[in-house]
Amino acid sequence: MSRNHGSSTRRLLEAARYHGFGIAAALLFLAPLVWSVLVSFKPSIEARQPPLPPWPVGGFSVQSYENLAQYGSGIWTYAGNSLAVSAATVAASVLVSLLAGYGFSRFQFPLKNVLFVLIISTVMIPFQSILTPLFLILTKLGLQNTLTGIVLVYVTLQLPFSTFMMRNAFDAVPREIEDAARVDGASVFAVLYRIMLPLVLPGVATVAIFAFLASWNEFLAALILLTDQKKYTLPVLMAAVRSGQFGTIDWGAVQSGVTLMMAPCLALFLLLQRYYIRGLTAGAVK
Amino acid sequence: MRLLRIAALAATALAALSTSALAQQKLTMWSRSSSEAFMPGLIKAFNDTHKTQIELQIVPSSEMVQKYATAAAGGSAPDFVSLDLVYAPAFAKSGTLEDLTDLAKSLPYFEHLSKAHIGTGTYEGRIYALPMSADASVLLWNKKLFRQAGLDPDKGPTSWAEIEAAAGKINALGGDIRGFYFAGACGGCNAFTFMPLIWASGGDILVDGGKRAAIDSPQMHDAINFYRELVAKGYVPESAKTDSGKNFFGGFATDKVGLSPIGAFAIGNLVKNYPDVEFGVTFIPGKEGGRASFAGGDNFVVTAGRDNVKAAKEFLEFVYSIEGQTLLAKGGSLPTRGDIAAEAVKGLDQRYQIATEAMKMGRTPSSPVYNDIFNSSTGPWKQMLNEAFFGDDVDGALAKAQASMQSILDSSD
Amino acid sequence: MTDQQQLPDGTSRPRRTARQRRKQLVGLLFVAPALALVLLFFIVPLGMAFWMSLHNWPLLGKPRFIGFDNYSRLLDDARFWASMRFTITYTLVVTVAIFSLAFPLALFVEKTRPLTKFYRTAFFLPVVVGFGSASLLWAWLLDVDSGLFSPAAYSLGLTDKRINLLADFDTTFWSIIIMVVWKTAGFNMIILLTGLQGISTEVQEAARMDGASPWQRFRRVTLPLMRRTIALALILSVAGSMLAFDQFYIIADGGPQNSTVTAVYWIFSQSFGSFHLGYGSALSMVLLAILVCISVVQLRLLRNPEGM
Repeated sequence: MSRNHGSSTRRLLEAARYHGFGIAAALLFLAPLVWSVLVSFKPSIEARQPPLPPWPVGGFSVQSYENLAQYGSGIWTYAGNSLAVSAATVAASVLVSLLAGYGFSRFQFPLKNVLFVLIISTVMIPFQSILTPLFLILTKLGLQNTLTGIVLVYVTLQLPFSTFMMRNAFDAVPREIEDAARVDGASVFAVLYRIMLPLVLPGVATVAIFAFLASWNEFLAALILLTDQKKYTLPVLMAAVRSGQFGTIDWGAVQSGVTLMMAPCLALFLLLQRYYIRGLTAGAVK
Repeated sequence: MRLLRIAALAATALAALSTSALAQQKLTMWSRSSSEAFMPGLIKAFNDTHKTQIELQIVPSSEMVQKYATAAAGGSAPDFVSLDLVYAPAFAKSGTLEDLTDLAKSLPYFEHLSKAHIGTGTYEGRIYALPMSADASVLLWNKKLFRQAGLDPDKGPTSWAEIEAAAGKINALGGDIRGFYFAGACGGCNAFTFMPLIWASGGDILVDGGKRAAIDSPQMHDAINFYRELVAKGYVPESAKTDSGKNFFGGFATDKVGLSPIGAFAIGNLVKNYPDVEFGVTFIPGKEGGRASFAGGDNFVVTAGRDNVKAAKEFLEFVYSIEGQTLLAKGGSLPTRGDIAAEAVKGLDQRYQIATEAMKMGRTPSSPVYNDIFNSSTGPWKQMLNEAFFGDDVDGALAKAQASMQSILDSSD
Repeated sequence: MTDQQQLPDGTSRPRRTARQRRKQLVGLLFVAPALALVLLFFIVPLGMAFWMSLHNWPLLGKPRFIGFDNYSRLLDDARFWASMRFTITYTLVVTVAIFSLAFPLALFVEKTRPLTKFYRTAFFLPVVVGFGSASLLWAWLLDVDSGLFSPAAYSLGLTDKRINLLADFDTTFWSIIIMVVWKTAGFNMIILLTGLQGISTEVQEAARMDGASPWQRFRRVTLPLMRRTIALALILSVAGSMLAFDQFYIIADGGPQNSTVTAVYWIFSQSFGSFHLGYGSALSMVLLAILVCISVVQLRLLRNPEGM
């Protein structure tokens, strides 16, 4: 009996240690996010003070959001730009990588491996280093200072990851499934669309989320390539807010902007977490 | 075909994005964020009374040059720009700017326009830029804190020793109130506010027509020691060490700082946005007295090849009218047209008069590599000052900066 | 089916070959959009960057061919090599820091127990916040007047005045390391977790039967079997760190005294601050070469996992 008792105590102790560590670590990871969100609801004057305690002492206030809304052409212009850019990047990334992934996974063609490695290896190229030529090319195409131009750049930047991801997703689908459909006389596109697409949806979700996160958050390319203030995306606007208005930084407005930028990322992740992690791990195993 | 639908969706999204790029009929104009206090009002007054319409965009000061240069290279530059006058030579040289010589000469009061502006706006005998707004560095003091510290709230300091003494007394008020503030990690700010200390004491920084850096001067050492002293005694807030010019106003505008050297544009800014702050304006003094100022501000430039000279003339005539000059002055820019300057600031208080006087004696170091040396956030001037003010090795910092500046100057030819 | 006629006289199985040819063509068509994008927005710009690096290329005005002058100038550019040294130091430190947190976290969340899901999510959440937002957030946390750390330390009596954490190299550097670890540990945790879960329990069990200690099992069984996963995580982490920009630009402004200017930051400042596009391109080429070397060495050391 005593032995049994000892082991259950030990198990209890072990569980306490496990969860003690887990909760402490989770709090550390979540604290900065929570802190920022809470401070964004302080009145401006209070937000200028150190956030101790983090919650608004004098009642919740949306003053910081109102201040933020007044920057430049109004916050909704920028949020709209960011949303349009992200949505277009997601749609185009999914489409292009779906095709490319299928092509690389299921077809034989000359230089296949070379081309695949070519696409993947661009991940090692600092895109910052080709920003200048990119700028010149977009200018030649008449796409400099347009959201379309920046979408094309973002899709390209995501390509190594999304192509890799989609090829792996297709690789994981047994060929027999496809062959069976093929025997039934379905066309290549029909097979891809009707049979394969549902099977690689987790991969698509991963590609979509990564494309969204990357384009929603990207800063440097947007800073250089968008020159017209009305076309700024949120990160570029936020850099301007951070650089102060009338020689003072409105930290409340900065944190409300940070909250605004974080919210869709967090919401999307929490909603699609399962697909996201599954897709990510499927990519990592390969 | 869902796939096709996705494709169609992507295509329409892209198409929608590109149509939003359709050109505006209005003329566009950019101005940097330090002109936020007066440009919007001026443009509004112009639009209200003219058929020509101008749409103003405020660009963060630190990004202005990069944005304008990239936009010009990309063909999407605004029609007009209010450009920091120190950059006019570089842009004129590159062919970005419309030749405004004829326009300038046709103005009957051309002779009375600010010489510092016309000077930097002239390249190889042609005029590419005309004065837009003017700004001179001055010293601000907080009258409320002066009163609390037992100092005469109506008399600003006239030498370094007086500044130090006043800062000390204000610092003694305790709490988070500090005596003196400057943005310690901002090259441009300190060109504006620190150089006059040296000039007023008889020294200079760029000599031989801007070809040679002369960092290691007794005046420089004195001025640095003056600031070091202020820092060492704790009169300067901790945050000054890393302020890259983003928050240079934060302390002064909230009654937390006693004295601060700053641009005259701050006057309009304070009056408009922080009406509760009681402040005085005086000249930036030299070590034993004397006074000096950095003559800054913006030039008005027109992007070349757009046939906008007529509209530019219409706008400039408004700017140089008594109405325009008064609007500028009220918002904190100094008048740019000498013959009516006195009239333009007449209704305004003593503080604007002081700034106008400072502008008259203002100096502007001129160099095609001004940005690389003084304004750049990775440049030698900013690094040197930060090391010298807050570090241990003043001589080393100066020597390093001297070499680095000279090599930038040499490679510019 | 038209290409059937162009086939060599393979009389035995012409139809099969034709179909293969057609299939080849379809395959190429599938990957064509991706290739076109990579070509237009990566390969061509890369070529252009090299071409530009041979010029004195101002942003405005005419470029002038100068051969390899930019490269010889670069050899003497103390600032560039200082930024390179800093970037490598940062990469080493941050990679070690990330892994020494991500590995324990991965082991911690490996077995599903109550709340494990919550822990995983919590550790991962900062990953989905962009580097820009995270940097803005931490710029505020690190602010001496309105931030959290310095005033908190002062209130708790740990320091006798508010310390400006960004005024000193060491505190700036470690603050940013902590921020990056906070931001990216979750990502590496998930990747490593995948590797851990890929190791069959039988193998672990067999090792346990043989009397191997937990550390031995980790050393001799887990680590070798996770080689490819580790390689992936390592390469991603190193490449990302070598290209660090946002956090140093937004939080520290390259300061104090330009001591945290990374390689990309210096290239950015040369290209879009001083408008020496040609010189900036030459710097980029050198950075690129260094990156490729590092990646190749890593791949060699960890043996090439297929496809990466």
